[in-house]
Amino acid sequence: MTDQPLRAAATARTSASPGSAHHSESARRMPVEDPATTLLSLRGISKVFAGQWALKSVDLDLRPGEIHALLGKNGSGKSTLIKILAGFHQPEAGSRAFVRGEPLSLGSPRHAHEAGLRFIHQDLGLADTLDVVDNLALGTSYGSRGWLSDRRERRRAGQILAEHGLDVDVTQPVEGLTAAQKSMLAIVRAVHDTPDGSGLLVLDEPTASLPERDVEHLFTLLDNVRAKGITILYVTHRLPEVFQIADRVSVLRDGQRVITRDTAGLDEDTLAELIVGHAIAKREQTAASTQRASGRAVVVRGLQGPVVRDVSFDVHPGEIVGLTGLVGSGFEATLALIFGAAAATAGEVLVEDRQIRLGHPAAAIASGIGYVPPDRKRLSAIQTWTLRENLTLTDVPTLGNMPLLDARADKRDAVDWLTRLDVDTTDPERLMSSLSGGNQQKVVLGKWMRRGSRVLLLDEPTIGVDVGAKDRIYALLREAAAAGTAVLMASSDLQELEAVCGRVLVLRDGRIVAELAGKQITADRLFAESAGLDIREVPTHKERTNAT
Amino acid sequence: MQPENTAVACGSDLHRPQLTAADGSEPESATLRKPQDVATGLGSMVTRLRHLQLARFSGLYLWALIIAIFSIAVPSTFLTSTTWDNIAATQAITAIVAVGLLGALAAGSFDLSVGSNLGLAAIMCSWLTVNHHVNPVLGVMVTIAVGLLIGAVNAGLVVGIGIDSFIVTLGVSSILLAVTELISQDRFIGPLPTSLQNFANWRFLGLTGVVWYAIGIAIVVWTVLEHTAAGRRTAATGANLEAARLSGVATNRHRVVTLIVSATLASLAGALVAARTGEVSSTIGAPYLLPAFSACFLGTTQLKPGRFNVWGTILALLLLGTGVAGLQLLGGQLWVSDMFTGSALVLAVAFAALGQKQRLRKLKKQTEAQAA
Repeated sequence: MTDQPLRAAATARTSASPGSAHHSESARRMPVEDPATTLLSLRGISKVFAGQWALKSVDLDLRPGEIHALLGKNGSGKSTLIKILAGFHQPEAGSRAFVRGEPLSLGSPRHAHEAGLRFIHQDLGLADTLDVVDNLALGTSYGSRGWLSDRRERRRAGQILAEHGLDVDVTQPVEGLTAAQKSMLAIVRAVHDTPDGSGLLVLDEPTASLPERDVEHLFTLLDNVRAKGITILYVTHRLPEVFQIADRVSVLRDGQRVITRDTAGLDEDTLAELIVGHAIAKREQTAASTQRASGRAVVVRGLQGPVVRDVSFDVHPGEIVGLTGLVGSGFEATLALIFGAAAATAGEVLVEDRQIRLGHPAAAIASGIGYVPPDRKRLSAIQTWTLRENLTLTDVPTLGNMPLLDARADKRDAVDWLTRLDVDTTDPERLMSSLSGGNQQKVVLGKWMRRGSRVLLLDEPTIGVDVGAKDRIYALLREAAAAGTAVLMASSDLQELEAVCGRVLVLRDGRIVAELAGKQITADRLFAESAGLDIREVPTHKERTNAT
Repeated sequence: MQPENTAVACGSDLHRPQLTAADGSEPESATLRKPQDVATGLGSMVTRLRHLQLARFSGLYLWALIIAIFSIAVPSTFLTSTTWDNIAATQAITAIVAVGLLGALAAGSFDLSVGSNLGLAAIMCSWLTVNHHVNPVLGVMVTIAVGLLIGAVNAGLVVGIGIDSFIVTLGVSSILLAVTELISQDRFIGPLPTSLQNFANWRFLGLTGVVWYAIGIAIVVWTVLEHTAAGRRTAATGANLEAARLSGVATNRHRVVTLIVSATLASLAGALVAARTGEVSSTIGAPYLLPAFSACFLGTTQLKPGRFNVWGTILALLLLGTGVAGLQLLGGQLWVSDMFTGSALVLAVAFAALGQKQRLRKLKKQTEAQAA
């Protein structure tokens, strides 16, 4: 509500932009841009999820052979648009698409493929244990000659890769390739069989998990691909890349296209404003945090592992600290390393000044850590078990010093905690799988709180959780913190971090690049820090209103 | 989202040999389908039925029905103490094997070597005491120690190196059979010393020794598996290995111990078979494998639906044993018992798969309804 005027201005800009106003009157023929200069035209693409507009009448035109960047915050509708193009989602009635002037029926992966559309998602879809040759053949076919000849396949694969300037041993299993080589292999696989000069390659954050030095290689390859006449739609969060590689850029916000224009003459600040919807404040110099040497609940030093390159920080008892960043920045992998769910390659973790053995969840638990994994179905709960068994698994009640189960205490504890956690049911014998995501998460949280964990690590604690349950979970976290528990949550939900955390650490390329505290924590600010935007000295709207 | 996961899971299941139908719940597993998937399938099918009590105790009713049918069909032979004595004694041996196997299954590993392990133990025990005149007590102890060692080898390969339990125990099973044939030279070994025979054939309250051993072992395993914290953790290991590990369960330890217990009890059963029959050949082990597995899986539909549980397994054994004995009295053909046990296992697993599918469909509908 605070940024109402700005939003209105942006909307005005949207409707003024060419294309969007026309789609209603154009019943049959393709409007605005003529087919000769347009590879793909989208008209009035809409999608509703659970009563909410994910996309609202989006128009978009791609010119043949251009690299077109598509930008927007999480939830702006980028992924939905791509998934509709790929045929994964069915758009609402009235959504239309044309490839070189020919209508394309949306909602069918096969039609999209036949029209020359190719997609590369963040998960590249490579089979790690198969070699390069087989991976190239995946998804297409081994050719029509029936008899498979290893030698011929190998030679052909080598040729295809060489054409695209990718020099790898084709008999090597894909797991031996670098992250950049994998991305490049996926790209080559996607485009090598497109009809000449008519393909469209859609890349969904291809650089998210790449170290910066590898990004250059990728760009060279993309230039190569473009030189072959293939058009590229490039989704990214990293604004500097847009200027490096894209000819034109489109920005989505709240399910609508805000603007499309040439990158020439644009600058990062303008782009950032367009994405967020209003100006972003310059980062204030945070005073070096004066941290007490004593009373640290968790100390992390030089932690390294997959994606995480060098992470160090402290958390005090009673603090709720957030971790965030873009996908691939390492924020999503840090907690698992601390807990020992994943193997760290270096670093140390101290809990209440005592070092814990890394890589051993049992050791972490013994030192007072509790961990809520991101994947509830698979990792944090036994779906086929009762709530009671799930709640007490971390500390099964026994009769005194005997190994025998104390069935009465087991049941009593379960009922107590179900009540305390505000779970929909207090029947301890209900199966975990019968609860909603939010209620399951309460139970998972409860199993650590019941144990008296002094440190709680939560990965995406409210993913797939409804609003009511979210609030209850936040309340539980605040309760735990008030009782002296150190809470550390990794989340990509920036509003959530703004609402709950007293301090947020932002990661980029496996390192902590910013630390925000108190009022500095705003979703916009977190987004800007995550994406590495260079921010102008403009006070936020909030600060302006506060000042007056 | 949801449909994507299911698709991935189905795809990844295709190239895998497996005992059950795809359940689509665990796309991550790079191993064979775990016993728990079968178990939860059976359980969910049963919980789906409204008349829970009827379902939970369906085995008891079925048993009563089978008894009634054979009592009418072959009253003169079926309703005799010899028949019942025989059912109890043969099922007691299978029960010891099954109850040991139950622990391994509960912790998420298959142990297909129990049959040939039993065979090797029977031959070894006889060979030591008959051919080499080893003291019977020492002979039995050595036999059981060898069983323990075999369990340790299984565990080392499965947990230490990380090979799938299905493959490991299948291979080990064949190796054990070879050793058995080597020792026995394809001949019967016997008769066993009377003192050893007495070890199995004493009687108390009208029941033979082996039955009492089985009862004792069942009670111990039941207590550990279902009434201790360790048993709870073992079951967690099998139900969701990764979730259990992240809850602090020492999953490797539980898998190792249960595989060792499974092998040890199988070799004890082997010694008892030798003592009971007095004379053994190398083929004695194989027929115990299928009934033990059938009993464990059928047991998951009884008493504690969806879980491997001791008394459900015992009930299933009585059911299978009575059915086989009755059918043999009716026709006397040998193939009948194999047919009966095999069909029981396949049908149970088929129902499991159907139940699982039904449950998935229901869950999907629920999530769709929530999303709408």
